[in-house]
Amino acid sequence: MGDADAFGKLELELRRGVVVLATLSQLRGARYGYELRQALADRGMPIEEGTLYPLLRRLETQGLLKSEWKIEDGPPRRYYSLNGDGRKLLKRLTDAWRGLNGAMDRLLQED
Amino acid sequence: MNANDVIESYVTDVALQLPRRQRNDVAFELRALLNEELQARAEAAGRGADAAMATEFLGAFGRPAEVAARYRPTLTIIDPADGRSFLRATVIGMAVIWILGLVGSLRQPIDSGGWDLLSVAGHWWGSAVIPSLWWPGMLVVGFGTAAWVRRRWPQSGAWKPRAGDRIEGGRTALVLGLIGIVCGIYVLIEPRWLLDVVWDGRAAPAAYEALTYTETFRQRQAPWLLALLLLNIPILATVVVQGRWSAGMRRFATAMGLATCAAMVWTIVDGPVLMTPSGDGTAKGLMGLIVAISLLGYAIQAYRRVRPAPG
Repeated sequence: MGDADAFGKLELELRRGVVVLATLSQLRGARYGYELRQALADRGMPIEEGTLYPLLRRLETQGLLKSEWKIEDGPPRRYYSLNGDGRKLLKRLTDAWRGLNGAMDRLLQED
Repeated sequence: MNANDVIESYVTDVALQLPRRQRNDVAFELRALLNEELQARAEAAGRGADAAMATEFLGAFGRPAEVAARYRPTLTIIDPADGRSFLRATVIGMAVIWILGLVGSLRQPIDSGGWDLLSVAGHWWGSAVIPSLWWPGMLVVGFGTAAWVRRRWPQSGAWKPRAGDRIEGGRTALVLGLIGIVCGIYVLIEPRWLLDVVWDGRAAPAAYEALTYTETFRQRQAPWLLALLLLNIPILATVVVQGRWSAGMRRFATAMGLATCAAMVWTIVDGPVLMTPSGDGTAKGLMGLIVAISLLGYAIQAYRRVRPAPG
């Protein structure tokens, strides 16, 4: 029970660390919240709705995303996509992630 | 209530906790997204969305206050690193205030001739417990201000090494301590000098009588207290000259302080110090306060001592 709790918390910590990078990676083109969540889940990165939707607003407030309301075969939806700063940040975070991932691979292979 | 009503109620509760300028826009988007999510769940379940399904879904989405908080940058009043210090200061401070209040409440009815548990508890609740809430409030303001200053000027919170032999408060504090000890010796030898200094020798005779030592005190405790106070002078003077505490000097000063506390406790319990009961009570009260503060200081020092060793 204790082990399962500890694993759950630590895994959550790991996932929290990559939520922003995963989200930015799927916003090279414009997507609305539900569509983005489906895209992430389809690629093996499910993110809870209660986490993802507020995150989009926070990233927009931080000047990394642009958004606009559109009506395309359905109700009005707010579409988000990376702006210039968002693209630069995505590039830097991607490089950092690859470096980190490589280091972790080396560390874990030593066992 | 149908599923739409449930979502509408939830969205309103979230939006009410957001800044007015983004409230309606977020509410509009959130409602659309929640409807879409719920519709997808209903289709997966092979039935229409109803209030129960919506309530269950929104329960997993999070409390409205939590969701609203996620829309905004995290607001931290007290740094998580300060959490335990804050809790400790709150508990200790409240305990001291409540205990002092209880002592005061227990004395109150005795002084006025009556005593019953209910009135003591009522007096304690009204005069100590409820008013004591100023203490955590003040701590929140203090810790919150410190956290804000550290965020605003990060360098102000940078760690700086401290020498183990440093003088707390610097030489100035020690010199002030020396002056205090000299004054203490002055008063100990002849407390009536105070009246001469303050009233230029024109104080009422009763005042002189109130500050007259009993013969028992002069014979028994006074020489010990005087000797202990005198011994502090060369210790503190040496530290002032050297500009640091040596380990031996610090141990000696602690031993002297504890011996002085013991002598004061002996004085308090042994018999009258001053001729008049009121003067005696005041003098013993002050001595008790000095002993309590000193012992608290030594206890804190002992608690904060770190001796690295394998556990």
